[in-house]
Amino acid sequence: MMYAVEIENLNLYIDGRHILKNISMNVSYNTIHVIMGPSGSGKTTLLRTINRLIDLVPNARITGRIAVLGRDVLSSDPYILRRDIGMVFQIPNPFPHMTIYENVAISARLNGIARSRRELDEVVRWALEKAMLWEEVRDRLNKYPHELSGGQKQRLCLARALAMKPKLLLLDEPTANIDPINARRLEDAIVSLKDEVTIIMVTHSPHQAARVADSVTLIYDGYIIEQGPAQVVFLHPSNEYTAKFLRGEI
Amino acid sequence: MYSSRRIKDRLFIAFIASVSILSLVPLFHIMIAIAVNGVQVIAKAGLRFFTDTPPAPLSRDVGGIAPALFGSFYITLVSLPITVVLALLASILSTEFPSNIISRAVDVLSRSLASVPTIVVSMVVYTTVVVPMRGFSALAGVIALSLISLPYAYTAFSTALRSVPQIYREAAYSIGMDRWRTVRRVLLPVSRRIIVTGILMVFARAMGETAALLFTVGRYRMGINIDIRAPTDAIPLLIFDFITTPFKLYQEIAWGAALVLLAAYLAIFVSVKVAVKEVRL
Amino acid sequence: MFKSKHDRLFFISLLPTSITIIGLLILFLIILVFHASTSIGVFGLKLFIESIWNPENEMYGILPPIIGTFIASGIAVAVSLFFSIPLSVFTVEFIRGRTRELVSSLIELMSGIPTVIYAIWSLNTLAPYLKTYVMEPLYEYLSFIPLFSCKPVTGLSVFTAGIAIGIAITPYMAMLIAESYRSIPIVYREGCLSIGATRYETTKILLSLSKPAIVASTVLGFARAAGETTIAAVTVGNSMSLSWCLFAPSYTVPAIIASQYANAGLYVYAESVLHASAMVILIATLILSFIGLKILDEWRRRVVV
Repeated sequence: MMYAVEIENLNLYIDGRHILKNISMNVSYNTIHVIMGPSGSGKTTLLRTINRLIDLVPNARITGRIAVLGRDVLSSDPYILRRDIGMVFQIPNPFPHMTIYENVAISARLNGIARSRRELDEVVRWALEKAMLWEEVRDRLNKYPHELSGGQKQRLCLARALAMKPKLLLLDEPTANIDPINARRLEDAIVSLKDEVTIIMVTHSPHQAARVADSVTLIYDGYIIEQGPAQVVFLHPSNEYTAKFLRGEI
Repeated sequence: MYSSRRIKDRLFIAFIASVSILSLVPLFHIMIAIAVNGVQVIAKAGLRFFTDTPPAPLSRDVGGIAPALFGSFYITLVSLPITVVLALLASILSTEFPSNIISRAVDVLSRSLASVPTIVVSMVVYTTVVVPMRGFSALAGVIALSLISLPYAYTAFSTALRSVPQIYREAAYSIGMDRWRTVRRVLLPVSRRIIVTGILMVFARAMGETAALLFTVGRYRMGINIDIRAPTDAIPLLIFDFITTPFKLYQEIAWGAALVLLAAYLAIFVSVKVAVKEVRL
Repeated sequence: MFKSKHDRLFFISLLPTSITIIGLLILFLIILVFHASTSIGVFGLKLFIESIWNPENEMYGILPPIIGTFIASGIAVAVSLFFSIPLSVFTVEFIRGRTRELVSSLIELMSGIPTVIYAIWSLNTLAPYLKTYVMEPLYEYLSFIPLFSCKPVTGLSVFTAGIAIGIAITPYMAMLIAESYRSIPIVYREGCLSIGATRYETTKILLSLSKPAIVASTVLGFARAAGETTIAAVTVGNSMSLSWCLFAPSYTVPAIIASQYANAGLYVYAESVLHASAMVILIATLILSFIGLKILDEWRRRVVV
C-alpha cells in the first residue's frame, strides 16, 4: 500500500444532487493532509465518506473507489472499518454521561487496546498527554465534561480518538468553535502526532492550512481545484481560484 | 382609535386570565373534596382501612379496602415490566431503522391502539382470556393493562431516544461502536431521565385505569389471592362499583379509596418532577 | 438492505418484540370484528336505528347510546374548547418562567388524574350543582326550547355527562393546543410585534394561524370523549330513552357496555350486540384519530418547518 488513503473517481449524490464530483486524492502515511476550501464546498462530506459516517444520511449514493490502509471502504463493514479511524468533530461531543476518564478509557477498552485497570490508566494518561490536556485535568478525572471549556472538550475528544490507537485520524474543522489560544494549542497537539498517525484535517482557513499541512487539497463546489505538497500549492498556485482562496477572497 | 384598541386589549387579557383560572378551579375543588371526604372516612376506620376487607352494605363497621389495594399493586407491578420491555425494544428498532416497514407498522398500529377506548380492550380480553379460562383472573387484568399501556410507553421511549443529539451517535460510531453498543452505552444513558419519567407515568396511568379491569379481574373483594389465575380487585374498580350502589356506607368507602388513589398518583407525579437525576449536556 | 453484518443481527434480535406487538394488535382487531359480526348478521342494520334493550326477548336496538355518545362528546368538546384555548394562550403568552412551569405542571397533573376520580366528584358534586343552578333554571324559564323541555329529576343526563367529560378532557386538549401554539415559529410573532399589534391582535393572528391545529385537537378530543367510560357511566343516567331534551337521562355506548356487558353472557345475542356497538365507536374513534393526526402533521409541515 503506497498510500494511507487512496481515492479514485469518487462521486457522491445526495437526494439526486451531485455533491462530490470526480474526486481523486492520495494521502501518504504519517503526513498531515489538509482539505481546504470555502464553506459548503463539500470538504466535511468528503471526510465523512472516508469513515462511512455518510451512511447516516438517507438517500446517499456513492460511486468510485476509496481505500483506507489497503482496505476498500465502500465494501467493508463500516463498524469494523471505524475501529482503525479516529475522528474529531466540529462541535466537541464528549459523552456527557461519562467522566473525563471514562470518555477516554471506553475508546481503549472497546477496541482492545487496554484491559486491566492499570493498562487503562496508562493509556488514558498517554492519550491526554498527547492531546495536551493531561496537566489540566489530572486531578479531576472523575469529573464530568460539562465542567470543561470548549477548547478543553475538544482536546478531550482528541484524546478519546487517540486512545484507540488509530492508524488514521480525521479532523473536521476541529478549531472552528473554540477560542484562538486553545486553537493553537490544539494545532500544536495535532502536529506532534504526525509520527504515530496519518492525519487528514478539514479547514476553511488558509492560514491554518499553511501552519500545519504537509500536503493540501483545495475543494470548491465539490470539485478538486488543486492539490499537492503544501509548499508547492501555497507558493506557486497554478490556478486562479487557489490564489483567490489563499488571499482570502473566496 | 388608539384607546379603543387598548381597551379591547385589556378586556382580552382579563377574559383570558379569568377563564384560565376558572379552568383550574375543578382541579382544586376535586382535590379538596376528596381530601375532606376521604379523610373523614379513613379517620373513622383507622389503619384497618388498609388491612380489612369491605363490609356488608348495612354494617356499622367501615371495614377496609385491603384486597383492592393489594390487587392494584399486584397487577400494575406485573404488567409494568411486560409493557416496558416490549415497548423499549420496539422503540429501539424504530429509532435505529426508521424507514423500515416493520417500524412503520408498529408506529401506525401503536397510534391506532392508543385511540381504542379502554373498555373495548376489556371486552376483547374478556372474550380471549376470561372465557377460555372460565373465570376472571389477575392475569386477564395484567394483559389488559399491558395492551393499554403499550402505545403510550412506545411513544414515550421513541421520543426519549430521538431526543439524544445526533452528535453523540456520531461520536460513538467514530470510536468503533456498533449499533447495539451505541444504544446501550450512549443513547439509553443520555436519555435515561425521559425514559424513567415515561416508566413512572405508565405506572401512574395503569394504576388509575378502570374500564380495562371491568370485565377482566373479577372484583374479588373477600380476601387476597396471590395466584395470578385467580380473580382479584383494584382500587379504581372498587370506587366505580361502590359509587353506583345506593348504600351510604359504600359511598363513604369510595371516598376513602379515592383519597388513597389520588395520593398515590400525586406521589408518583411529584417524584417524577423532582427526583430524577439529570444528565447535563 | 443492511450495510453490515452487525446491523442485520441487531435488527433480527429486535424483531421478535416488534412482531409480537404487531401480531397482538392485528389479532385484537380481528377478534373484535368477529364477535360483532354475529349480531349484525342476525339483526342487520336495524340494530343501529332502533331503540330497544330487551335481552330477555332478544330484542335490541342501540340507537340511543350511539346518539348519546355523539351528543355528550359534542358538548364535552364545546366546553373543553371554551376553557382550553384561553388556558393555552394564557400559558404560552402571558406567563413566564416559574409561574409558567407551575401552571404547565398543574395541567399535566390534571391530564393524568384517573378518570374514576373525576367520576366520583362529578356524581357527588358536579351533578347536584348543575341540577340546581343550571338545569332547573333553564327548565323553568326556557322550557319552550325543546332542548330544555324536560324536568331534571336526578341531575343525571346527557348534558351532565357532557359537562363532566368536558372538564376531564380540558387538560388534554389544553396540552395539545398549547404545544401547537408554542411551536409556531417565532418569526410570525415578531412580525406581529413589528407592526405594533397589541396582545389581543397578536393572539388573534396566531390563533387563526393555528386553526388547523385547533381543529385537529378538537377531533382528537372528540375521539377521547367518545371513548370515555367511567365518567359517562356514572353521570349519564343509564336509560334507553331518545328525546330532544338534553336533561333527560340517556346512554352512551361505553356506559351501556359498562352496565350491561357483565350480564350479557346470560343471553344469546346481548354480548354480540354490545360488541357491535363497541365496533361502531371504535371505527368512529379510529377514523377521527387518524384524521386529527393527519391534519396536525400537515399543519406542522406547513407552518412549523
